[in-house]
Amino acid sequence: MRAGAGRLERGRLDRGLWGLGFVLPVVAFFATFSVFPVLFGFYLSLTDYDLLNPPLFVGLENFANLLGDRLFHTALVNTLIFVAGSTLPVWIGSLAAALLFDRTFRGRELLKSVFFLPVLPPIAVVAVLWRMLLHPNGLVTHGVGWFHGVTEIPWLADTVLAPLAMIVVHDWAVIPFFMLIWLAGLAGIPPDVRDAASIDGAGAMRRFWHVELPLLRRTSLLVASLSTINAFQTFALQFVLSSDQGGPANSTLVLGLLVFKYGFQYFRMGDAAAVSVVMFAMILAVTLIQLRLARHAH
Amino acid sequence: MRAAMFTRRVVAAASVAISAMLGAAVSGAPAAAQTTVKLWLHEHPPRLPIDRAIIAEFEKANPDIKVQYDVIPPAEFGQKLLTAFASGSGPDLFAAASLVIAQYQAARILAPVDFAALGFADEQALTSLYFTGFDGVRFGGRLHGVPVEVSNWVCYANNAIWREAGLDPAKDFPKTWEALPAVAEKLTQRDANGVPRRRGFDFNWGIRNQLWYTTSTMFHQMGQRLVDDQTGKVMLDSPAGRRAMQYLADHANKHRLGGPQYTDPRADFLGGRLATECTFGIFGIPQMKAAKVDFSVHPAPRWADAKGDHGLDIYAFYMMVNARSAAPAQKAAWKLARMYLERSVELFEKAGLFVPRREVMESPTYNSDPNIALIIAELRKARFSPAIPGHDQVLDVFLKGRDQVVQGKQPVDTVVPAINAEMNTVLDRARARARGTQ
Repeated sequence: MRAGAGRLERGRLDRGLWGLGFVLPVVAFFATFSVFPVLFGFYLSLTDYDLLNPPLFVGLENFANLLGDRLFHTALVNTLIFVAGSTLPVWIGSLAAALLFDRTFRGRELLKSVFFLPVLPPIAVVAVLWRMLLHPNGLVTHGVGWFHGVTEIPWLADTVLAPLAMIVVHDWAVIPFFMLIWLAGLAGIPPDVRDAASIDGAGAMRRFWHVELPLLRRTSLLVASLSTINAFQTFALQFVLSSDQGGPANSTLVLGLLVFKYGFQYFRMGDAAAVSVVMFAMILAVTLIQLRLARHAH
Repeated sequence: MRAAMFTRRVVAAASVAISAMLGAAVSGAPAAAQTTVKLWLHEHPPRLPIDRAIIAEFEKANPDIKVQYDVIPPAEFGQKLLTAFASGSGPDLFAAASLVIAQYQAARILAPVDFAALGFADEQALTSLYFTGFDGVRFGGRLHGVPVEVSNWVCYANNAIWREAGLDPAKDFPKTWEALPAVAEKLTQRDANGVPRRRGFDFNWGIRNQLWYTTSTMFHQMGQRLVDDQTGKVMLDSPAGRRAMQYLADHANKHRLGGPQYTDPRADFLGGRLATECTFGIFGIPQMKAAKVDFSVHPAPRWADAKGDHGLDIYAFYMMVNARSAAPAQKAAWKLARMYLERSVELFEKAGLFVPRREVMESPTYNSDPNIALIIAELRKARFSPAIPGHDQVLDVFLKGRDQVVQGKQPVDTVVPAINAEMNTVLDRARARARGTQ
């Protein structure tokens, strides 16, 4: 009896060890490449580290310095403007595109494929392409100039136009992706609900406002939160498309670019990590708000 | 039960395998210690065959030294170097440009030149072979690298465009900055809105450091330094600094000769959209010939009241040794660097990398084109731009100020004091950190 219990115990232990053996590689992988970098980033934010010499622990000094750091303030304001310009327009634009492609018309599949093309290349390639299009005497200027008789527009060399150009290019590149999410949401609406609304005499607009949009609430929150997080993390577009990486006059300097500059151009890895932690906190807050709203929606 | 047995077998097999591997590693270790030199160079395709030849010859002559050679795209070089140093896996021998090495020096990454390992009796024996090129790598009175390229920019004129405008570049090329706008205007073609369709002259706004080089040159011509040698302070908030900034603003806004919206003046020059360009060096000659541009070379303008006859500033690439490498690797690295010095003629003839040595200036390629002698005559008159720790951040502040003045059209008298103070704050911080590490 006692020997049987011992065997049972050993069997459980073996199974446990085997289970651990199977899980361990995945746990180790995530611990190494996800958890450790995050924790190390937090640690670095508490140090003065130039990458060339050992980090010096400075406590919360880097965070205190950010309060008076004009570059950080500029990047924060630019990021918030970029986020504002990359969420609501993306939300509306992608929904409008989804509603268009949710209808049946001739050439829909072809048009949808063409519309989806901007999502395929990496954002750096998109930026290079737009750098050519936004040449002061380039194609876009010719298009705009045709209406206004202007022959040169410094799209990327003007402190007002350059941030605007970043938003337009970003929205152009991501709207088709979010359109797909909306389309998936629209496909999930039972046809009989729409039919019932139609039989009840609801027109297309009323059906959309009172039937479809309420049923798309979770999709709507998903698009809003993903586009916000995506916009907060913007880096490659400004890195490639802007003049002097964040110019002119820091008008396109966003937090992601500031992290890069602090870390790899200015040798201020501690400050870079502190900015990253602030970004992390902001994105976490957005995600928590989204989760809370989703819970209410449910 | 069966599972437990299987586990034990697996553990036993793994133990045997690990023991076997360890045994093989021990028995395979070389009897004599071999030194490995990690060499990192930026990608320059014409130089790569020479690199390989040098390494093969070096390894043959030094069988106890192995060279681990890596070529890195120029755009990634700085970051890779930085992260490699951070992780303790930096190269033993590497090349970097004169403007960025001050930050490595500040972090005590650079080893002073080991003349014995390099094969020279002393500093004099090395530097006497060159007429310039070492000031960019001298820190605290000691050399910390050897030059593999020493270069300067001059002005190139598109003769065909000049003639079309009724000008002769040989006679009419402006000698002064003050005379430049009027000549450039004659060369400029504008559309109905006054927008230049073809520009007479423009600064190279697409190269970040161009602002540093050009402003520093203007300071040198006024007998001053952009960063004062005595105080170590940025001197932009001075009559020379305000004059340079006002010149840039007037170029773009008053004369409307160009501006930061034109990001690739070199391509514009080669494509016939720009008549005069001042950021080509010797390397420009083959490009002109390939683009079939009828060109002539001219000294950069000076201020009318210049106190010094200085051409556009010098920049250089140096081979440097990692001070954190083991002593044998450092010695081997200097030995390898010597081979690059000995191949200077070949590096110039086949890869266009000029160093101001007598042998290079007596080479057939040097004497094949009279423009080269003109460029080098300007090099003799040029000085190095100040190299400072925190260069990238100081430059970013400078660029912001330039944008405020040029694009933002803000008054120079308002912008310059503010950015000068900001540049000095950054510089002070970089220096303080450097002191903290010493």
